[in-house]
Amino acid sequence: MKLIAVTACPTGIAHTYMAAEQLQKTAQKLGHSIKVETQGAMGIENELSADDVASAEAVILASDVCIERAERFDRLRRISVPVGAVLKNPEAVFAQLK
Amino acid sequence: MALEKSFTCTLPNGIHARPASALEEVVRDAVSEVIVLNERTQRAANVKSVLSLVAADIRHFDPCLITVNGPDERKVMAALADFIDNQFPLCDQPLAPEVTGRGDVHLPPCLAHAQVVTYPGTTVVSGIAQGRIVRVGGFRVPLGLAESAVSDPTDEWRKLVTALERLHAIYEERVRQASGIEAALLKVHRAIAWDVEFRNQLEDAVTRRHRSAAGAIADAEARFSRELAESGSALLRDRALDIQDVCRELLQQRYGDDVGAQTITLTDDSIVIAESLTPGQFLALPRAFLKGLVLAHGGATSHTVILARSFNVPTLVGVQNLATLHAEEAILDGDLGALVTQLSPAAHRFYKMEHARLAQRRERLQNLSTKSGGVPLEIAANISSAEEAGPAFAAGAGGVGLFRTEMLFFDRPAPPAEDEQFEIYRRALLAASGKTVVIRTLDVGGDKPLFYLNLPIEPNPFLGYRAIRIYPEFESIFVTQIRALLRASAFGRLKIMVPMLATVEEAEWVKTIIDRELAHCGIPQRPPIGAMIEVPAAAFSMDYLCPALDFFSIGSNDLLQYVMAADRGGQRLASLYDPLQPAFLRLLKHIIDSARRHQREISLCGEMGGQLRLLPLLAGSGLNINSVAIPAIPALKAELACLPLADCRQLWESAAACATRKQVGDALDQFADRHAAPLLDPDLIIPNTDPATKEEAIKLAADKLFVMGRTENPRAVEDAIWERECGHSTGFGNGFAIPHCKTNAIRSHSLVALKFSKPVPWDSIDGQPVRVMFLLAVRESDSAINHLKTLAKLARLLMDETFRSRIEAEDGAQSLSCFLHQALLE
Repeated sequence: MKLIAVTACPTGIAHTYMAAEQLQKTAQKLGHSIKVETQGAMGIENELSADDVASAEAVILASDVCIERAERFDRLRRISVPVGAVLKNPEAVFAQLK
Repeated sequence: MALEKSFTCTLPNGIHARPASALEEVVRDAVSEVIVLNERTQRAANVKSVLSLVAADIRHFDPCLITVNGPDERKVMAALADFIDNQFPLCDQPLAPEVTGRGDVHLPPCLAHAQVVTYPGTTVVSGIAQGRIVRVGGFRVPLGLAESAVSDPTDEWRKLVTALERLHAIYEERVRQASGIEAALLKVHRAIAWDVEFRNQLEDAVTRRHRSAAGAIADAEARFSRELAESGSALLRDRALDIQDVCRELLQQRYGDDVGAQTITLTDDSIVIAESLTPGQFLALPRAFLKGLVLAHGGATSHTVILARSFNVPTLVGVQNLATLHAEEAILDGDLGALVTQLSPAAHRFYKMEHARLAQRRERLQNLSTKSGGVPLEIAANISSAEEAGPAFAAGAGGVGLFRTEMLFFDRPAPPAEDEQFEIYRRALLAASGKTVVIRTLDVGGDKPLFYLNLPIEPNPFLGYRAIRIYPEFESIFVTQIRALLRASAFGRLKIMVPMLATVEEAEWVKTIIDRELAHCGIPQRPPIGAMIEVPAAAFSMDYLCPALDFFSIGSNDLLQYVMAADRGGQRLASLYDPLQPAFLRLLKHIIDSARRHQREISLCGEMGGQLRLLPLLAGSGLNINSVAIPAIPALKAELACLPLADCRQLWESAAACATRKQVGDALDQFADRHAAPLLDPDLIIPNTDPATKEEAIKLAADKLFVMGRTENPRAVEDAIWERECGHSTGFGNGFAIPHCKTNAIRSHSLVALKFSKPVPWDSIDGQPVRVMFLLAVRESDSAINHLKTLAKLARLLMDETFRSRIEAEDGAQSLSCFLHQALLE
């Protein structure tokens, strides 16, 4: 599947990036393509473009805080989970796509 | 025919001991009876008795009526009226706020689970002390003595008078031998022993009610203590302890040592607890074993607390429920503001860590401060009493840059005599053992009134008749101080400094007087004479002052408020009263450059000197000496050792050329970012440690940040970490944890790594204990992005199994640091 994701956590120092990394690793393992935007202490990085959003089949929102510009994903199938869920059992998160 | 006068008490703190002694002095020699009635409480007081005046509890705005009745009533009333109208409003100064015990203790996480019992209080002398609890009793008169029958009241009174006279002689002798705080305190005791009303009470009890001397003393103590206790002021309640002291000693004089003597023996490290402790009882405690002091009563202004502070004995006051304490091992934790008892093994481990934290920090600061960096700036100490000289040099001061002598002149009916001053200056110089001591002559008047000078009230005291300006009128006071200083100059390297100098004429006048007194005292060599530069006029006369004087010290607090025309207390003026104002920096530059051009020593004594953030500016300014409060010295010296002189000079030049305060602030921030401690530092890696709990592990990391000077408040860092940790655990599985926080309690972004010799129980997401912990502490206000990128990279790498196993394999701080450095930064 072609996927996009956003990660964010309260301090934006550690879990945002750990979750992003874990999503990428797991997607690769399961044979999905994924682009992950991080919303951390350095602001938005690896930002999802309009094209990225338009061509994606689903979005994974892994966050413990409000995501900025969430309206971009209004028309998209979405899975919202706490950041911890991605670290604890990433495959279970992807299983929700089925 | 009695004379009457009504007045309203205009003193914000009411008539406490000091205004009371001023009033008493006015009528001391009067034949007439002088009574003041507090119309609010309807309590009448004998104006000739300080005790009785104080006990009348006259507060701000209380209406009062004074009655004078007797042969010299006209003369007495005239003097009183003049005093009340003109001088009375001046015999006061702000008091420290009342100290009350707090209800709760915010326990650090390690202690929260340690099941200790805490007794909260207010820390008045900080520190952490450990010892066995020893209870010290209050004032007690043996009942048998108090109630014993008196067959010959006249003889009983005669014996008591003899005891009183002996006691007075003893106090005279002690006052003569004591100095500083102890002397001031003994004078209060002497005044009580000689108080008219105190004596009347005793006489009345013995001669009319036929009480024994012990009974009379017990009655008098009870009466005055009760009246003081009922007064609304903590200051007065504290005086009750002084009365107890005098009564105890009077008892001893009358009946011998067995009755009144203090026999408190401490045989081991002890924390002394008491409902209250008189200064005499405090002084009788063996100091070698006295580690801490816990009092139910006694405010920050009580003499016992002042003594405890000068001997650096950690002290808590306002502690409740002391009756439930036993003679057990306990810890007085000044940081926590509590007495900690029922010490469990976890609590013992916690305080072992606390001792290690403080000892390691001390050692590191000591090592750093002995290294001399490239900056030739000496850090000296500001002190207000000779007692502080020892601690100042112990803290690493290169000299005393400012000894304020005002304290010696307050709280007394007349200025200190030459011998008394000489003794104090001599002691400070001896404690300095060859290092320089700059003693500033009396800086009073204006906002610091001395009632015995009878200075007028002024609408604008900071621009008023004060400091050097009053010397010609009060020449004898100035001359006495100069003679004491000149005599003391034989005992060390003394420099004399005058405050508030504005003109060259003033400098010439001071020199003339000093030269005359040199001849008078027969002293061959004149000590260096200098001036505070705190008036802008003096700053702009440097070229003319330099030939006349030997050295200068910038009084930055006053200079800043005069230059910016902004009161330092004005909260809405904070942006103007800011040493980062470029106009102020340009004036500093002018002063420093002028002094250096004339080869005169130039120092700074003011609050800005104590701020770590401003140190690079001062380091680059060409200043010779920065004189600061004692607690600031170690950290400033350690920081100074790491500052590159050339960069500081550049910073100083560019700051003085800024247009706005914000630009100066930005330049400082950029400097701080450029010279920030690196994120990764082998000293922040502990490769082999064994905390018992997650709480201890996090404390170890926070303490490391404290030891390495990256935070002054490790408990705040811990709190920030735990705030994040409560959301959900940062133990992310596979034996790794990454607690983190954003806080301004940290000075620069930091990464602490701990490897545990045995796995630590943790609420990880996979339920496994933790073997490796990375603690990330990010400075909230620092926008520098490089370090955040590095931390993000670390977070991503930790998801990689190969990376994690490499971390587990590296077993030394240096090799782990190298590996992290390669992985994250290259």
